[in-house]
Amino acid sequence: MYNFLLALGQTLIRFTKITGEIVLLMWAVLREFLLPPYEIKNTFKQAMEIGIKSVPVALVTAVFTGMVLALQTVTGFKRFGAESLVGSVVALSMTREMGPVLTGLVVAGRAGAAMAAELGTMRVTEQIDALETLAVKPVKYLVTPRFTSALFMMPALTILSDFVGILGGYAVAVWLFGMSSVLYWHRAWDNLELSDIYNGLIKAAFFGGAVAIVSCYKGFYTEGGAEGVGKATTGAVVISFMTILISDYFLTAWLFK
Amino acid sequence: MIEIAGLTKSFGPNQVLRGVNLTVQAGDSMVVIGGSGSGKSVLIKHIIGLLRPDAGMVLIDGTDISTLKDKELYEIRRKFGMLFQGAALFDSMSVWENVGFALLRSGMREREAKVVAIEKLRLVGLKDVEDKMPSELSGGMRKRVGLARAIAHNPEILLYDEPTTGLDPILADSINELIIRMREKMKVTSVAITHDMHSAYRIADRIAMLFEGRIVQEGTPDEIKNTSNDLVKQFITGSAQGPIKVEGISF
Repeated sequence: MYNFLLALGQTLIRFTKITGEIVLLMWAVLREFLLPPYEIKNTFKQAMEIGIKSVPVALVTAVFTGMVLALQTVTGFKRFGAESLVGSVVALSMTREMGPVLTGLVVAGRAGAAMAAELGTMRVTEQIDALETLAVKPVKYLVTPRFTSALFMMPALTILSDFVGILGGYAVAVWLFGMSSVLYWHRAWDNLELSDIYNGLIKAAFFGGAVAIVSCYKGFYTEGGAEGVGKATTGAVVISFMTILISDYFLTAWLFK
Repeated sequence: MIEIAGLTKSFGPNQVLRGVNLTVQAGDSMVVIGGSGSGKSVLIKHIIGLLRPDAGMVLIDGTDISTLKDKELYEIRRKFGMLFQGAALFDSMSVWENVGFALLRSGMREREAKVVAIEKLRLVGLKDVEDKMPSELSGGMRKRVGLARAIAHNPEILLYDEPTTGLDPILADSINELIIRMREKMKVTSVAITHDMHSAYRIADRIAMLFEGRIVQEGTPDEIKNTSNDLVKQFITGSAQGPIKVEGISF
């Protein structure tokens, strides 16, 4: 019992400490974002890494998600004769849920892991200390550009995913099951509201920011050499995934009333 | 001038510095010696404000940097150049971008910064490496690039973290020579931490020994050589027998 309470207490203390440190990092990132000089060149470089280079993986993910949604809907909804709804199901699922969440997971796995590994390596090889000795603020130089790029690139990637996912659904419904093309688009557009799309994009931006902060935090405070970098990277991906999946529920409850 | 008074620092339950007092006159070359885990790295990180003391003061030309706000601290850092143990080169940038990093950041044009970078690389005895990536260089060359980066913005104070560790004796001595040359050419104040006694005698005007978080003796290289302090005597002769016990080893 004593050991259990001890472990529980230690876990709570660690959790509180990490949460506090993340909030402080967040605060520093926002401050550095507002204060000149602005890291424009650096931010574009990161946007390239996080956004543009994630496009192929995000697209493959989205197109197959759209395809499988259509496949499941056509075969599943057939039981109660509602397979004509496939356009709506794909469009609503993609924009409200699958687009942001799966793109978030892709970005977490690709860019989040890269952020943690890169910053972690910089920490253990004293490159972050070196930045400070050269009178450059590490948060401004390293974390703010990553955070800003993720915040803006995630919605951009998501809107692409939404669109490509709906196209994937179209391919399956129309080409494979011979559904009417007009019916698919009709169902897709008629039941889709603008709020479905932008609320999905709000989610995406939140996931992007969260992945960047968590991954940079893990990398920034890495200790313990190569093993530490490995742990930081794993930690970054796991915590990012958890953050996305858990916050998704609450964001959905809040955004889609 | 660097003045350190009553500097203490703990990490959790581990008290690393227990009241360090040390003064380095302008233009002097101070070498801090001490065993692994004696707190040398922690001490040098306090001099440039990478760590903040629990108590005590670190005065750089009369300014106490331990109480400075971030902005003022970053200003004062421009006086410093630091060579890290593993050189700490930015591996995403070419050699010249590393050397010219501080210049580029302060708004210098690329072309000019590259000219300065090449000149500084010459000064540390390197040429035709400016467009290489750090990963293409040997350990000794990386240290030289690290030094070129540290002197690029003409600092007044140079800090060396174990400058010769991990190099063969000949390379190590070439780094020693470079450190001496930096002092003569740039008239810098320098602080080096090392456990390489050969290097310490070569580059030091004064040597201080750190043991268990305190300075146990400070003096000229000759005074250190002829010390009567048993701790210092054991360290400089490199003996496992004496008042300093090697932790975790028993025969």
